[in-house]
Amino acid sequence: MTLEPALSSPWRAAGRGLRESLSLVAGYAPIAFSFGVIAVQSGLTPWQAVGISLLVFAGASQFVMVAMMAAGSGELTVLSAVLMMNLRHLFYGPALATRLMVLPRRLAPWLAFGLTDEVFATAMAKGASRPLEPAWCVGLASGAYLAWVGGTALGAGLGAGWANDGGYVAQALDFVLPALFLALLAQAWRRARWPVVAAAAGVTLVGMVWWPGHVAMLVGMLAGALVGSRRPRAQGSPEATP
Amino acid sequence: MTWWGIVIAAGLGTFLIRYLPLLSGTRLARGEGWLSRFLGALGLAAIAALIVLSMSDLWWQAPHWRGGVRLVLGAAAVLLMQRVTPNVGLATLVGAGVYGVTGWALAD
Repeated sequence: MTLEPALSSPWRAAGRGLRESLSLVAGYAPIAFSFGVIAVQSGLTPWQAVGISLLVFAGASQFVMVAMMAAGSGELTVLSAVLMMNLRHLFYGPALATRLMVLPRRLAPWLAFGLTDEVFATAMAKGASRPLEPAWCVGLASGAYLAWVGGTALGAGLGAGWANDGGYVAQALDFVLPALFLALLAQAWRRARWPVVAAAAGVTLVGMVWWPGHVAMLVGMLAGALVGSRRPRAQGSPEATP
Repeated sequence: MTWWGIVIAAGLGTFLIRYLPLLSGTRLARGEGWLSRFLGALGLAAIAALIVLSMSDLWWQAPHWRGGVRLVLGAAAVLLMQRVTPNVGLATLVGAGVYGVTGWALAD
């Protein structure tokens, strides 16, 4: 962590983060809308659907949670499934801390609460080129959170009789998150880092043959980071070559 | 445990999974050793793994050559836009637009 460049006003940095969350908002809103619809169709009230998004804020595990509750699974089974799915987030905090200028204690809980896959990926892509301001990260996570909760509320409130007609706009929205991840990869790309990308992508792809997606992703992510943790061979390596 | 009890416990558990390592991470981040390099590579690795996961989800929704063409063209549009302008949001929306339009153009 470095103190260069100097921290700007926290409010200004948070505003920039909020503005830069727009691509996340575009990706989150339709998925959150779907979550709201599915939660209500599974027998939850709109308030319960919104309550899950407000309190848990963890995309895929929320869908699993609702499905298991609707199927009548036991409380501890549901709870352990949600926490197991979110275990990959254990690694996000320390990795993000390597890119932060500083981490004020009062901002840490807000930063941690919003540390979803997409917020983490966006912040790390940005952090590849310059140290991150913590308030910027909080602004980014706030935009994502508002879209997630707002999308859930819309889906739960308006979506009871709504059925996915498979329209092209809905299909285009399906591609928003993959497109966002690709754009982030392009932004964070360094030629010397290709083995990290190849290992993570390859292990995830092969892992999906045997494991559920979230497990394959965790194993792939760790494999890529392990490859990236090898000591650089020489000073002045092409690490910084875009 | 009541319904709200499960939701609160899931929210609290998820929060702690994110919060506690973040606090210890500030200490780890100061190092220069293996762990620091591991954590530094984790972001790029997570992005690569998320691409594979999200793209394969889309592929399995309609495993057909048309779906493959849409994915390739959508991805190409994102990368091209990202090369032309460093605006992640614009590249994302153009890629999604190309994916949607290609679906319309290739429809039976």
